[in-house]
Amino acid sequence: MLELEDIQGLVVRGYAHLQAARYVMLGIRDAAAARRFIADTIPTITTAAAAGPGRAAHLALTAAGLTRLELPQPALAGFPPEFTEGMVAPARSRVLGDVGESAPEAWAWGGPATDPIDLLLLLYAQDAGALEELARPIEAAYANGGVAEVHRLDTAAIGDREHFGFRDGISQPIIAGLGRTGPAEHIVRAGEFVLGYQNEYGLLTARPLVPADADPTGVLPVAAATGEHDLGRNGTYLVVRQMQQDAPGFWRFAREAAGAGDPVVLASKMVGRWPSGAPLVAAPDADDPAHAAANGFGYANTDPAGLRCPVGAHVRRANPRDSLDPDPGTAGSIAVNRRHRLLRRGRKYGPAADVAALQSGTGTDDTSDRGLHFICVGANIARQFEFVQRAWVGSPKFATLYDDADPLIGRHAPLGGTFTIPARPVRRRVTGLPQFVTIRGGAYFFLPGIRALHYIGSLES
Amino acid sequence: MSATQTWAPQVAVTVIAEVREGRERALEGLLHSMGDGVSNERVIAFGDLEGVHFARLVLAPPVDPRDASTLILMSDVDGAQDDHLAELAERQGDGIDAVFSHCSGYPDAPAGVPARLAFLRERAVRADTSYVNRPGRTVAQVRDEARLRDAIEIYLDSARPQLETCSALDARAQVQAFVAGDPRLAFAATPAPEPRLGERVRSALDLARLPATLIVLAPLLVVVAGPWIVLLRLHECHDPAPDIRPDPAAVALVAGLEDHLAQNSFTAVGRLKPGPFRRLTSTALLWVADWATPHLFAHADLAGVKTIHFARWVFLDGKSRLVFASNYDGSLETYMGDFIDKVAWGLNAIFSNGVGYPRTNWLFCDGAWNEEAFKHYIHTHQLPAHVWYSAYGNLTNANIEQNAQIRAGLHGRMTATQAERWLELL
Repeated sequence: MLELEDIQGLVVRGYAHLQAARYVMLGIRDAAAARRFIADTIPTITTAAAAGPGRAAHLALTAAGLTRLELPQPALAGFPPEFTEGMVAPARSRVLGDVGESAPEAWAWGGPATDPIDLLLLLYAQDAGALEELARPIEAAYANGGVAEVHRLDTAAIGDREHFGFRDGISQPIIAGLGRTGPAEHIVRAGEFVLGYQNEYGLLTARPLVPADADPTGVLPVAAATGEHDLGRNGTYLVVRQMQQDAPGFWRFAREAAGAGDPVVLASKMVGRWPSGAPLVAAPDADDPAHAAANGFGYANTDPAGLRCPVGAHVRRANPRDSLDPDPGTAGSIAVNRRHRLLRRGRKYGPAADVAALQSGTGTDDTSDRGLHFICVGANIARQFEFVQRAWVGSPKFATLYDDADPLIGRHAPLGGTFTIPARPVRRRVTGLPQFVTIRGGAYFFLPGIRALHYIGSLES
Repeated sequence: MSATQTWAPQVAVTVIAEVREGRERALEGLLHSMGDGVSNERVIAFGDLEGVHFARLVLAPPVDPRDASTLILMSDVDGAQDDHLAELAERQGDGIDAVFSHCSGYPDAPAGVPARLAFLRERAVRADTSYVNRPGRTVAQVRDEARLRDAIEIYLDSARPQLETCSALDARAQVQAFVAGDPRLAFAATPAPEPRLGERVRSALDLARLPATLIVLAPLLVVVAGPWIVLLRLHECHDPAPDIRPDPAAVALVAGLEDHLAQNSFTAVGRLKPGPFRRLTSTALLWVADWATPHLFAHADLAGVKTIHFARWVFLDGKSRLVFASNYDGSLETYMGDFIDKVAWGLNAIFSNGVGYPRTNWLFCDGAWNEEAFKHYIHTHQLPAHVWYSAYGNLTNANIEQNAQIRAGLHGRMTATQAERWLELL
């Protein structure tokens, strides 16, 4: 059983009913006061036991933040290297595709040129007024001198379609043991998303532990095997990335590349779903809102060559479902896929574009700052987010592809990317794809369990 | 433009040399100047030699810091080992001198071709197991077929308006006509070269090697099987299997060298567990694996893993250590995941004879399935390879296979469905 009262609620809920949200990045100015701030904030934090809360608050920390709070060395050493090194280590930027315009040097937050980020507050409420009300006492607590706001990410409730005009966030893994049901292929063991439970290998993912004498009052649960105390249990990691979207550029390209054809068809081939959300595998010829939320489909048997949904389409590579080696179409293939699932919790930001006008080419180029604050929850950043980002989404060699990075969010060669649309008798190859998405900020966070937060808040210098 | 294609076997060349006392630093500095994970070809230009698929130079530190380091040159080449060594000695003499003059026993400068070649020959060892993704396919063939694919793709881009209304058979005929009309693609007028009769006979005889050995040794095997299993279980229960976290700096060093091409190199060295049991077991297993790879895994698929181009295991230091080296597509995280998901049993059988490997049961079970402990083991045993050469670093095995099928599909008669399938390769 999951210890819901010790798990931060964001792991199990996206709070779709709470339309207003804000993410606040904080820097630590004084360790002792920051620990008091954390301890004082804990009562505000929403646990997974609270069903349908009227508002929600969450607190996560970077490796730099944990270091500044003087977490004992054995616990720091217990975090995986991708977390302690952070998203902006040079070799990591290269493999994540954070180069060129997306290079961390140019980021608005989280990069080497901006203030270090130690803590992340995630606040959710029904409307802007309620969000202010929720934020006010927390912001007042900054006054003790422990933390200061470094950067703020506002979100925009623009409906269920992202800025290019496609319904988003349809396919999510279902955490086993929460009593939710759905297609078996989407049910994933809790340990993939929460530390301290069995993962898809039937094992416990490595997590930070502290020696028993570093937790004399026993705030933390005891890790059964070794007698050490478990700082990781009921915690997990958040990957946060600000993905700025060029909606006018996307549709301009689709219009030009479609020529006499329909830009919506071409764009849908790039996405892998129609604007309504209907998957191309289920609705190959035209959008069909009847399939809008369809999620019980595969590729291996219905569409192995990608004649419906191109192999390079965004959704087919972000979640290949049953199309992976060694035996596409089998339970074994789905089992491999389960080890690389992303539980997405992101929100849009910026004003919605007039997508209909962009599609028809009648709109003005409104280049407002807009995009997605991508957030995903996972117990193993390397095997989940980083793997999907580099091996599937980012790799021009995904599956049998030759030179096709993700047409929507991938990084392309200077001369532009290639996107192959399988067709009979011969494929169509779209070339010269520009960058539609630019990374503007990002960081890895630890989202501790409630007891772990108490422990961190009660550390002494 | 390449010479006429022929079928040629691939050989895993390994040259092992002991580094002279006090020369490790200088050699390390030289290797660092020769590449950042991909060879810059300045000191030794592997790409100027005939038929080199992959090559690397790695420095293996000694078990006991008072001992000498070991320099290992590994290359995967078409044809015969001796031709490759001779070419190195003749055409890359200065580079070979620069690198190997740091090693014990290297002739005094200027070394001269015969002395250089004698040194390399003397230190060349046969891989205990070698794996080739597609035996017989030469560098020239891989490159030619990639050119063929690129040319057809460009043709299709421009010809698509006319082809759109064609049947699949007509579209194929148009592609065939295009290829036939381009003199630069003349090689494609014939299907890929096949092994000659002599090679096929050799292969058939080699296939009999294992059954023949089993028959001869059957009486002995029956007797030793029981005690061997008991010993195995005793070892498995008592061998320490500490899960040692890798040094983040070492992991970061290797990560900095990786992911510059569509492929990566992997090199690891580990100690064998002490005693004759592990030495004999690993020797026998590698012998079986070496027999199995060309016969059972010769079709671009190593027990479910399709991303490995070449791989080898080589014993070091009188079988007290074992080197594993491979060339694979994608990133290390994918590679390790493939190991666990697809060939954990095989890795367990061989690597469980090494110190520090996660605990196995009945030789094949558990081990690599202990995901994180296995990944820690991989990271703690991996060696950085600054100098690594790939002849076709932008091609995955999937690409190479597909290119070969494109060429094959230019020949022979096809049904409409076959033509549709063939066009899907493009």
